[in-house]
Order: sequence, then C-alpha cells, then structure tokens
Amino acid sequence: MEEYSSGDDGNFNSDEISILVKECIEGVIGGTDYNQNKINQWTASIVEHSLTHLVKLGRPFKYIVNCSVMQKSGAGLHTANSCYWDTTTDGSCTVRWENRTMYCVVSVFAVAM
Amino acid sequence: MDDYLTDEQTVFDVEDVNKIIKDTLETVIGENSYKHSRVNQWSTNVVEQCLLRLSKLGKPYKYIVNCFIMQKNGAGQQTATSCFWDNSSDGSCMVKWEKDSMYVQVSVFGLAI
Repeated sequence: MEEYSSGDDGNFNSDEISILVKECIEGVIGGTDYNQNKINQWTASIVEHSLTHLVKLGRPFKYIVNCSVMQKSGAGLHTANSCYWDTTTDGSCTVRWENRTMYCVVSVFAVAM
Repeated sequence: MDDYLTDEQTVFDVEDVNKIIKDTLETVIGENSYKHSRVNQWSTNVVEQCLLRLSKLGKPYKYIVNCFIMQKNGAGQQTATSCFWDNSSDGSCMVKWEKDSMYVQVSVFGLAI
C-alpha cells in the first residue's frame, strides 16, 4: 500500500474544482441578464476569481482558466479541447452554467509542476 | 556553460504554432459553411490535428488546444482566459478566423515540462 497517494496533493481533484468554479460564476453573474456593456468585466472577473481561489489551494500546479459567455439567441456553439500531458497527474474540469439569457462555460486545466 | 539551454528548446514559439493552427483550420474547415451536423467532427479534427503537429515539434512541452466554433447569427459572445504559469518558458497563441457563416477561435497553451 506504499504506492497509494491521497487524491489531495499530487492529483487533480475535479469535483472540488467544479464546486469552486460554480461558486465564482454565481458570485459574478448569478441573477443578472446578458448585458453587452458589462460582459467584458464579468468574464474577466470570473477568470480572475477562479484563478485566485485555485492558487490559494496551494497545490503544485500551473493553471489555465478559460471562460466563455454567450448570449442565448439560437446560435449554434461548439467547443472542443484536447490535451497532451501526463494523464496521471494533470487534469481538467469544465463547468457549464446557464440562466434565462446566457450560457457560461468555464474550463480549468491543471498541469503538475 | 553547463546550464545553458538553447532558446529553441524552452521558449514557446508563437509563430510556428500560429502557422500550425492556420494550416489545420484551412485543411479541416476550408471554405465550408456552418453546418450543425458537421461542426462536432470539425472541432474534434481541428484539436486532434493541431495536437499531433505540435507534439511532432519535439519540444519539452505539455499542450492544451481549445477550439471554439460559433454560428453567426447576431448573438453576443465574450471569452476570457487567465493563466498561472512560468512567464519565461510558457506561452499561448490564439487564432481568430472569421467566415461568412461562423466564427472560429483556436487557442493553444504550451507549458514547459
């Protein structure tokens, strides 16, 4: 059992990150409608808050946080991600959120240092 | 001079990556118009082929490739990304491609091992 490593330090914990990101999204755009004037500020806030919270976890990872917000108007949208990394230590997590007027997709990629 | 590492090895080469992305987009999507039934296949092919060509560069990097395709129909959309990494060796490259019927955006993030 000496090889067993806890999920916390060396490996990416997708569930925990998912909850953290959802809270960041709710905190910034929860309860608002799509607003062309504010959208720039909102997406920047979401990525900054998410990154700040991730770094505070104090884990040995480099992070990339990507946020897309799209107005609901019937347009088709497709996103794909592909990663070339160490599958034992690195990981990603994508959170999809929507309300009446917009979709928000946030992807977090964590690469072990 | 034992510690000297050649620049080609540990610097993210934006021009090379830019060229790879543009060539891949031309090959996979080319002159096609937005088609709901094919978009899934296009975004998958774009990320896979980009990743294949990036790994062939043989550099000591982990890569994340993101492809975003949106139909043009007047919807507003905003994307933001923030990264926590080593500024001296890591980098990113974003290519925006606009056609008559759709917007395509491909982002590549390279993180030094």
